[in-house]
Amino acid sequence: MAIVTEKEKRRRWRWNSLRARETRLAWMLILPTAFIVFGLVVFPAIFSIWISFHDVGLDNLGDVFKAPFVGLENYAKVIDDFAFQPGPLPEDWAEANILGKIGLFFTKWSWGAAITSVVYSFLATITTVLVGLGAALLLNHPFRGRGIARATFLIPYVAPIVSVAFIWRWLLDPRPSGVVNNILMQLGVIDLPIAYLAERGLALLLVIVFTSWRYFPFAMLMILARLQAVDRTLYEAADVDGASIWQKFWFVTLPELRYVIGAIFLLRLMWTFNKFDDIFLLTGGGFGTKVLPVLTYEFSFRLRDFGKGSATAMILLLILVIFLALYIKIVMRNMEDE
Amino acid sequence: MTENISRRQEYDKPRSFMDRLGSWLNWRRFIFLIILFFFLGSILFPFYWMVSSSFKTQAEIGSRDPVYIPESLRLDAYKELFDSEDDNFQNFGRNILNSMLVAVPTSIIAVILATLGAYAIARLYFRGKNLLLNSILVIYLFPGVLLIIPLFSMVARIGDRIGFDVQDNLWILVITYLAQTLPVALYMLVNYFRTIPTEIEQAGLIDGCDHLGVIWRITLPLAIPALISVGIYTFMIAWNEFLYALIFLNSSDMYTMPIKISWIFNDPTPRPNVVMAASTIMTLPVIILFLGMERFLEEGLSAGGVKG
Repeated sequence: MAIVTEKEKRRRWRWNSLRARETRLAWMLILPTAFIVFGLVVFPAIFSIWISFHDVGLDNLGDVFKAPFVGLENYAKVIDDFAFQPGPLPEDWAEANILGKIGLFFTKWSWGAAITSVVYSFLATITTVLVGLGAALLLNHPFRGRGIARATFLIPYVAPIVSVAFIWRWLLDPRPSGVVNNILMQLGVIDLPIAYLAERGLALLLVIVFTSWRYFPFAMLMILARLQAVDRTLYEAADVDGASIWQKFWFVTLPELRYVIGAIFLLRLMWTFNKFDDIFLLTGGGFGTKVLPVLTYEFSFRLRDFGKGSATAMILLLILVIFLALYIKIVMRNMEDE
Repeated sequence: MTENISRRQEYDKPRSFMDRLGSWLNWRRFIFLIILFFFLGSILFPFYWMVSSSFKTQAEIGSRDPVYIPESLRLDAYKELFDSEDDNFQNFGRNILNSMLVAVPTSIIAVILATLGAYAIARLYFRGKNLLLNSILVIYLFPGVLLIIPLFSMVARIGDRIGFDVQDNLWILVITYLAQTLPVALYMLVNYFRTIPTEIEQAGLIDGCDHLGVIWRITLPLAIPALISVGIYTFMIAWNEFLYALIFLNSSDMYTMPIKISWIFNDPTPRPNVVMAASTIMTLPVIILFLGMERFLEEGLSAGGVKG
């Protein structure tokens, strides 16, 4: 019979204790998920940092660990790239008045991918949240067929991006037979057909419109859920005080929605900032719509310069981390408060 | 008194439709209706345009004015997709199959793995649980383009070593989609499991079930709505995904539907009717699935079920 020391006994007891068995079971259950997620997201993310400091092209991709270390050269190349950097100010910038400057800013000046990304994400997120708020207020009224309307409103959000983007491109067709061109020409708004997605300024505007058309249902659902949880007595009290519709909206509804709108705003901001498909499929990143994800794709898979692509992605991540820090600081803390 | 009577007489008078409409309609209702129809129109018209364009002929597509209502339901575009006799035969059936081969395994595996993981997080005690859950959530916010370069290189290297073809391998897509969908699947299921009272499961444990038995016999049957919803979401994400499929698939026989559609779109001779026919085939099942299951699905949407 083997001699079991006191220490060994205690260790065995701990190993066999209910709690220890539970912990082991828990890890076994979570392990496959954790393994896939960490192996295919966390490890690649770290690996991406490594790639961004090395010269990796298609030729040495299979043997990537022998790639030469180049320090910050990839980052320097990205920042020097004309697609990343803001271009020179338009010629007549100095003479233009403030309105003219705004016009030139949106239609003539090439911003470079970093600024385009930030401007696009902010404007698109703001419009998405506003449209979502409008839709939520609309659906908060009881009316016949509300359920159907609500379900219909969700369709753009669940339909495949590829079909939706190509429907829009087909509607915005630059030929006179394009639907939007046809309608505007019949109404006499324009004389000649316009290539909507091939004009600086207009293209960005339409990409923003598209983004808010496609993603407002998310904001709508979240706001609607919050709206339906608002205490009715607040409105009754406002009625007693003789408040108008606008006053009720401004002083009762909006304060109630503040946190949820903040949360949606930051979440959508991060998602929009990361988004590749929408712009890639609508404009291919041309005509003042080249955002950082599209630029990353172009550097890596068109120019086959993976180091430069990774460096672009790192810059994107850096900006994203700032948004994320805000999200955690503002939203998660508020959620704990509530 | 007399005033009252006269008002009632006026009220009882048979009224025409326009009168009734006139008295029902006030400014607020009018504006409400206009906004409502604006929303509905701007959402439904693009989809109407997709379906109707798919039934147009090449002549109707190329005419000077847009054809809002096609003459008749012409199947030219669908023939190009499916009829092997057609000059431009696209073999789209193969692409539908590819999409299914990616989306169905993704959704089944994701539901199974996420159920196990979510049970562990919602019910069992272990150290580092919250850290794990939170880090998995933060991971959900990572941009896809950031991961595609290292994934491409990793997979190429592993493929070289083990000797399988990385390009045009649908299983690679299944695995990468799993990594994308598991975080949110886990999150949704954890939230759902927390709403199931623990007493039922404890009763099961006392009666001699082990943990896996409890998951199988008690938790799962109670969680069926959540499982359906997670299954549909992961299916939809895999069905709709564009970027990873674009990078990993090279030959048009292995394309999933989104890549094939974009390939047809970029053909030198533009054939919007074919693009729209293929889009219709890809879109309608998703919309029907979603509308049919809307009750289960709405909660998941706001939990970020579709990462958009």
